[in-house]
Amino acid sequence: MKKLIQMTINDRAYEVAVEPNKTLADLIRYDLGLTGTKKGCDTGDCGACTVILNGDPVNSCLVLAVQADNAVIETIEGLSTDDGLHPLQQAFVEKGAIQCGFCTPGMILSAKNLLDKNPAPTEAEIREGISGNLCRCTGYQKIFEAIESTRS
Amino acid sequence: MLLPKFEFHEPESIEKALALKKQLNSGARFLAGGTDLLVYLKKKIVSTDHVISLQRIDGLGEIQENESNLFIGACTTMAAISRHPAVLKRFCALKSGADNMGTHLIRNRATIGGNVCNASPAGDTLPALLVYDAVALVESPDGKREIPLTDFFKGPGKTDLKNDDILTGFRLPYPPDHSGAHYIQLGKRKSAEINVVNAASFLTCEPGTSNILSARIALGSVAPTPIRAPEAEAALMGRTAGDDTFNAAAETARFKDCSPIDDFRGSAAYRRAMVGVLTKRTLAEAFDQARA
Repeated sequence: MKKLIQMTINDRAYEVAVEPNKTLADLIRYDLGLTGTKKGCDTGDCGACTVILNGDPVNSCLVLAVQADNAVIETIEGLSTDDGLHPLQQAFVEKGAIQCGFCTPGMILSAKNLLDKNPAPTEAEIREGISGNLCRCTGYQKIFEAIESTRS
Repeated sequence: MLLPKFEFHEPESIEKALALKKQLNSGARFLAGGTDLLVYLKKKIVSTDHVISLQRIDGLGEIQENESNLFIGACTTMAAISRHPAVLKRFCALKSGADNMGTHLIRNRATIGGNVCNASPAGDTLPALLVYDAVALVESPDGKREIPLTDFFKGPGKTDLKNDDILTGFRLPYPPDHSGAHYIQLGKRKSAEINVVNAASFLTCEPGTSNILSARIALGSVAPTPIRAPEAEAALMGRTAGDDTFNAAAETARFKDCSPIDDFRGSAAYRRAMVGVLTKRTLAEAFDQARA
């Protein structure tokens, strides 16, 4: 039986009826059309589906949409503003931290969460902060440099 | 991967959750963080017609500082455990276990109750819970009961819980003064790793001396369940803490207490050797804390 849930995604309120067996990742991508959130492994290993749920980054493939009732969610689409890209997004572009781009939304959201909570992370903290996000192009060093360039 | 169809229930109290489980019988599974259950459902390792979420039950996600012990609710996430001041102050080996479980994304969802109920021999919080003498608090339609964690694990993925039971949390007695504990996990990388061997040690020393008043050692990934190491613990009791004593205990743990197997993560011989190394290192660090 479908359940009616409410959530705020990127400051916009949504009310949707969802089947209990729908994951948050599928809801965001296929029902709401926010395809910046990627699906890689679908088992919580790769981090491509990272979203920020009530202030904490999570694998949205391992959250049921019904569990996100009343949640506040941030996806990669919520980062840029009318003024342009978020500083982290800009840094990823400038440092060549994007190859195929599939891990990028998750990487940037993990990095954003890290910098929001700890504006001046050490090298080890940056590496730990993105350790739940796999890059199959193995461009980790450029990603690290992009994040490092935006810390205060 | 699609999740199979199921009905979703979100009871707001333990009583309602217990009643639902009884009514739906074995057709229902409890959901906490979901980082194991949803993977098992997707991979069809587990099937169920009903999922009962424990997420909205008051108190299950809380940590409470009582007079003589710490209560950790079963639905407390690894991330919440890791940053709680009482855990930082008194249960550093548990913090270390919680910090090393999965990835930072998983730790924001995964719960301590789930880690325990999953009953992996390699579970990251389990050695620390064992050396801190944790007691599992269980509720069923017949009432409440307590299971010492040493009696909780019955095999890989198997626990002492009955079908109608809900694990509500854990009680950890505060360690006495002059105590220390340490946890080390050995894997092939730092993140998203299943341990090859993991170990925790706990020591209490006589004030002003190096005499060992109590010692507890727990080992993971070297038996069908996480285990205590009674022979090695006996080799420490009443002795003077130091390299010789710790070496002897490590050798005892290595040859008498564990029963590792060969698998793709490591050979039995390597695991046995690492039991020795980790036992020694965790004891040495626990002792440094105990006399600090």
